[in-house]
Amino acid sequence: MSPVAFFILSLLLFTLGALAFLFKRDLITQFMAIEIMLNAANLALVAGAKTWASLDSQVVVFFVITVAAAEAAVGLAIILLIYRQKKNIRSEEINLLKG
Amino acid sequence: MDKIFRLNIKTTVIELFLVFIVFGLVGVLLLFLNALLGPKRTNPLKEKPFECGSPYLQKDINPFPVKFYLVAFLFLLFDVEVVFFFPWALVFRDMAGTALIIMAAYLAVLILGLIYAWKTGAFEWD
Amino acid sequence: MNEFASLSPLLILVGASLIILLLEAFGQWSKRWLHSLIALASLGGCAIFAATFWGKGAGYFQGTYTLDNIAILMTVLFSLAGFLVILVSLSYMIQHGFNRGEYFSLLLFAVSGLIIMTTSEDLIVIFLGLETLSVASYVLAGLKKEDEKSSEAAIKYFLLGSLASSFLVLGLAFIFIHSQSFSLKEISFVIDKSENSPLFLIGFSLVLIGFGFKVALVPFHMWTPDVYQGAPTPITAFFSVGPKAAGFLVLFRLLRPFLEPIFSRQNLQIILWLLSALTMIVGNLVALRQKNVKRLLAYSSIAHAGYLTIALMTQDGQGLIFYLLAYLFMNIGAFSILIALSPNGQEFHELDDFNGLATRAPWLAASMSVFLVSLAGFPPTAGFLAKFYVFSTAVRQGYTGLVIIAVLTSLISVFYYLRIIVHMYMSKQISKITIKADDPILLVVIFFCLYGVLQLGLFPGRVLTLIQKAVLSLPPL
Repeated sequence: MSPVAFFILSLLLFTLGALAFLFKRDLITQFMAIEIMLNAANLALVAGAKTWASLDSQVVVFFVITVAAAEAAVGLAIILLIYRQKKNIRSEEINLLKG
Repeated sequence: MDKIFRLNIKTTVIELFLVFIVFGLVGVLLLFLNALLGPKRTNPLKEKPFECGSPYLQKDINPFPVKFYLVAFLFLLFDVEVVFFFPWALVFRDMAGTALIIMAAYLAVLILGLIYAWKTGAFEWD
Repeated sequence: MNEFASLSPLLILVGASLIILLLEAFGQWSKRWLHSLIALASLGGCAIFAATFWGKGAGYFQGTYTLDNIAILMTVLFSLAGFLVILVSLSYMIQHGFNRGEYFSLLLFAVSGLIIMTTSEDLIVIFLGLETLSVASYVLAGLKKEDEKSSEAAIKYFLLGSLASSFLVLGLAFIFIHSQSFSLKEISFVIDKSENSPLFLIGFSLVLIGFGFKVALVPFHMWTPDVYQGAPTPITAFFSVGPKAAGFLVLFRLLRPFLEPIFSRQNLQIILWLLSALTMIVGNLVALRQKNVKRLLAYSSIAHAGYLTIALMTQDGQGLIFYLLAYLFMNIGAFSILIALSPNGQEFHELDDFNGLATRAPWLAASMSVFLVSLAGFPPTAGFLAKFYVFSTAVRQGYTGLVIIAVLTSLISVFYYLRIIVHMYMSKQISKITIKADDPILLVVIFFCLYGVLQLGLFPGRVLTLIQKAVLSLPPL
């Protein structure tokens, strides 16, 4: 199968994630949208590894996965903090800072 | 105007626009795809949590104690960091000495993190 | 040259932050002198060890870590920033309720992330450094756990920061697909042969978006004012100096192969031209209607990112680094004054709180005026020379239009900087806020920044030759 199909799929996934990030109003969902975007990028990386028969970008996928896990731990902790303060996690209610 | 604008603007602009048009079209398409493909009519049964008709056993999801989250975060971290053991195991035969030192350093940092979590009471259940 | 010792600056920082974590876990502390001493010593040691590798071009990990002269300069700059930020936060952290040892180790991790970013020419290592920095920064922004504004800053920084890094990863993937490598050298080698591939262009634009977020260029600046305003003030000072400097240095390295033959890559130059102009115009115009000085400084930092982008376009490494150094002194100085105005867990950062500061704390008002004048770019301060070098190189390379925009927007900026000075010196009513100017460490930092601003403004010769040597030692492409 041609790798171009995978590139297109990864672009689609990425756009989907970006749109979900823009249109959803729930912090957890927005965070999941970011994870989708990261995974779309991972797909492109793996497809790149397949095209060039090179291991470089496959190793990079490992790094991206671990980085995403570290981000997830910190991010979920911050969302939990927000929940304790406001008793909800709707992003339109995070509006103390503006101007 | 600066000199960059006098140069071959046409191809550049076309290229850039192509990229944005592709992204934009995909976006708009996805926005309306749901409305195009999804079922139009709804009924009371469809609004229920389980469309198959079985009644739900519990009204709401009860809140979990916060300590579950803490354990989940820590599990997530330590679980995923292990991913580097796999490539390490693959190359271990070729570079035994160096690989051992590198992994020892990596593990030392992880274990220090574990000790920190332990001492600050992340694992105390009550 | 390949030697393990060149890793020492990084190892010192990471080791110190792990030791601080253990200290925090195993001890009961009410004051954290030991923690701060370890942190300060490690930052000092990091700078000194880095400096010993001057001119040696040492590296490790098969060239993915290269401590070249520019990286050494930046390491010293970051250590200095971290040092000053720790000094100003010593009493702030106790009064504002985040008296925790983790603060120091997070800050050290963030600084080591900055150093990783600037010492590598491999996109993956740069990405990992960026993430080390980012994950630590998200926590730092939300350190005031009781304060809703601080948590809000943390969540905004987290969401938009990780959005930016996902753009960055996709960009890296496309660049890899096009050029089969993550190393900047090899990429530039491949690119010369195939002009204007759309795949590469998409990838490069995505990477540009990713770093544009970090350095707050205009279409990607939305997070900056909120995060700067909500985060604890010393952390804001760090954010405005460290990540910005590292981001611009990475962009400098990234763009170097592609801007070298001036006429061959117009599309990149057009993108940068537009980004720079937009950043200067939007940053300065929105700053005009700010009433909160902390937020105003956030917009001013966006505007400065615009000026720095000019230096990127002209590949003026000397101007860029000098600007970053000058910016470090004037910005940390200005934020130290803000810290002096935040006693006992409160923050008085509205414009009206500055009324009559000149009669109540003449030294603070005078130093704040110097920092603001420097930010606005008047002689004889560092800000003036920094802008002068960047703009004059740009004019010499033919970017007259951009420089005209830059000068006009600088004139706009004079208005809002001077408004703070007017509030301090010419206001009829005098605000009743308590000023915490009795902390000797804070005063020392303010005077040191004052010295830096004036030294760089009046006698920049030695620093300039040092920077020039570093930039000239970059390998030709």
